[in-house]
Amino acid sequence: MPIFAYEIKNLYFQYRKEEPLFEGLSIKIKEKEWFSIIGPNGSGKTTLLKLMAGLLRPQKGAIILFNNNLFSLTSKERAKFIGYFPQESFFIFDYTVKEIVLMGRNPYVNWFSQVSKKDIEVVERCMELTETINLKDKKISELSSGERKRVILARILAQEPKVLLLDEFTTHLDISYQLEFINLLKRLKEAKDLTIVFLTHDLNLASISSDRILLIDKGKYVACDIPEKILKEDLIAKVYKIKPIVKIHPLNNRPLIIF
Amino acid sequence: MKNKKVKMFFLFSFLSLLIFLSLFLGVDGFSFDKTIVLKVRLPRVILGFLSGGSLAYAGAVLQGLLENPLCDPYILGIASGAAFGVCLGYLTKKLSYFFSPLFAFLGSFIAIFLVYNLAFYKGKTNKIALILAGVIISFLFSSLTMLFMVFSKRPLNEIIYLIMGNLAFVFNKFTLTIFVIMNFISIIFLIIIYSKAFELNCLSLGTEVAESLGVNYQQSIRLLFFLTSFLVAIQVAFAGAISFVGLIIPHLTRFIFGANYKTVLPLSFILGAIVVIIADLIARTIAPIELPISMVTTFFGAPFFLYLLRRNL
Repeated sequence: MPIFAYEIKNLYFQYRKEEPLFEGLSIKIKEKEWFSIIGPNGSGKTTLLKLMAGLLRPQKGAIILFNNNLFSLTSKERAKFIGYFPQESFFIFDYTVKEIVLMGRNPYVNWFSQVSKKDIEVVERCMELTETINLKDKKISELSSGERKRVILARILAQEPKVLLLDEFTTHLDISYQLEFINLLKRLKEAKDLTIVFLTHDLNLASISSDRILLIDKGKYVACDIPEKILKEDLIAKVYKIKPIVKIHPLNNRPLIIF
Repeated sequence: MKNKKVKMFFLFSFLSLLIFLSLFLGVDGFSFDKTIVLKVRLPRVILGFLSGGSLAYAGAVLQGLLENPLCDPYILGIASGAAFGVCLGYLTKKLSYFFSPLFAFLGSFIAIFLVYNLAFYKGKTNKIALILAGVIISFLFSSLTMLFMVFSKRPLNEIIYLIMGNLAFVFNKFTLTIFVIMNFISIIFLIIIYSKAFELNCLSLGTEVAESLGVNYQQSIRLLFFLTSFLVAIQVAFAGAISFVGLIIPHLTRFIFGANYKTVLPLSFILGAIVVIIADLIARTIAPIELPISMVTTFFGAPFFLYLLRRNL
């Protein structure tokens, strides 16, 4: 029997004073899988990711994380499982890169906020993996947006999580940076046996990176399968209300969407 | 790192020099009269040290906790609650030396609980609601204080001094005991808050990020909110609402020593103490009559803060 990173069962969720968003959504995400979530704006992707991160509570249904009920874990236990990359990050104070990455060790520091030798080692290793070690004494305000993303990734890796939940990780980046980030994530995934939940608007990026893709529309499950079965002209046309052309990418044989 | 140590050395040397100056400098230049030094100036220095330090410390905590660099310790209505308490204490006339600080403390207490409960909804504290509720409660208490000022027959400047900060608190045996106990509690609070320095770093990145880093948001915000509020309430009860220190000192500290809360907290305390002791020194020596401390901190603090602001633009 395969181990599931996530088992989401019969999820009900609605924001206060709004229509219900999810009414009985169920999905399973396998361990070490690259699982992408796509769907038009307002389809509930970010909300789903926040539910999976334990930042929002569903009204009904269960979220099982590696055989644990997500909501019976303590905050620190949860942070040792899940690394959450938010859609937007802001820093009101000008921390150094090293200080920010060290914050990823919050689930491990003792009650008096003391940092151990191991914490420092993990932080340095994570900065090396994300190639931010040479920036370690720089202030966050001095960095470009691509560098910032790598720093936040390093902070998340410092949590030593089993799952990465990435909300639009590659937006606002140029094409070469996007590919570099995808390759970096692929390397990290292999090296650390990570499960990646990747939320994106870029269908071609989802195509080349994913093991499976979930397509949702206004909180409703549309389909969930390998990229070849999701990125089809009829499905995309129905959900996104456009007329796309789907070809086979000549280099990697993955679906290529043109619109 | 070495640079930091040099800066710290200067800071502590400066503090020692300043304490020496404050103890022996009066309106007529240096004086070494034992009674004046021990009974008049020493209490002022201690009061200045504790209140200045605590206010800056509390400001630093609240700015991170509420993700708002413009927060000062009074934004949550603590000072206005205290000021109104002082007014009520005045009604007890001869006993006001005792009742004023007590009622000041109770006034802050009521403000703190009102603000906290107004911002609490469905098991969660809303940060923006916390600030808004603080501002509203502040206005409410201020209007009551104004009402009191208009109707009371007391000279207005007595109240003004208490509201604007003054280190000339008159100690007798009884108030001294209370002062010592309260400040002992303050020190315990300071230590507990310091133990949360790491979480404060995370909390300043926003609620969701902090939660994803394993911070129990509701538990942390409740603990830090009440501890810092009480810390401020205790200081306001004895030294009045000294303004501006809680807002600018944390920024000054970050500017010199970096943003990490593990250094920001203790060094804000030291810098806050230094600034209030200097302000008191100026307040009691520069003019023929004693000036309110807030007048001095704000008069010198505002241009300095503007300078920092322009430099960083």
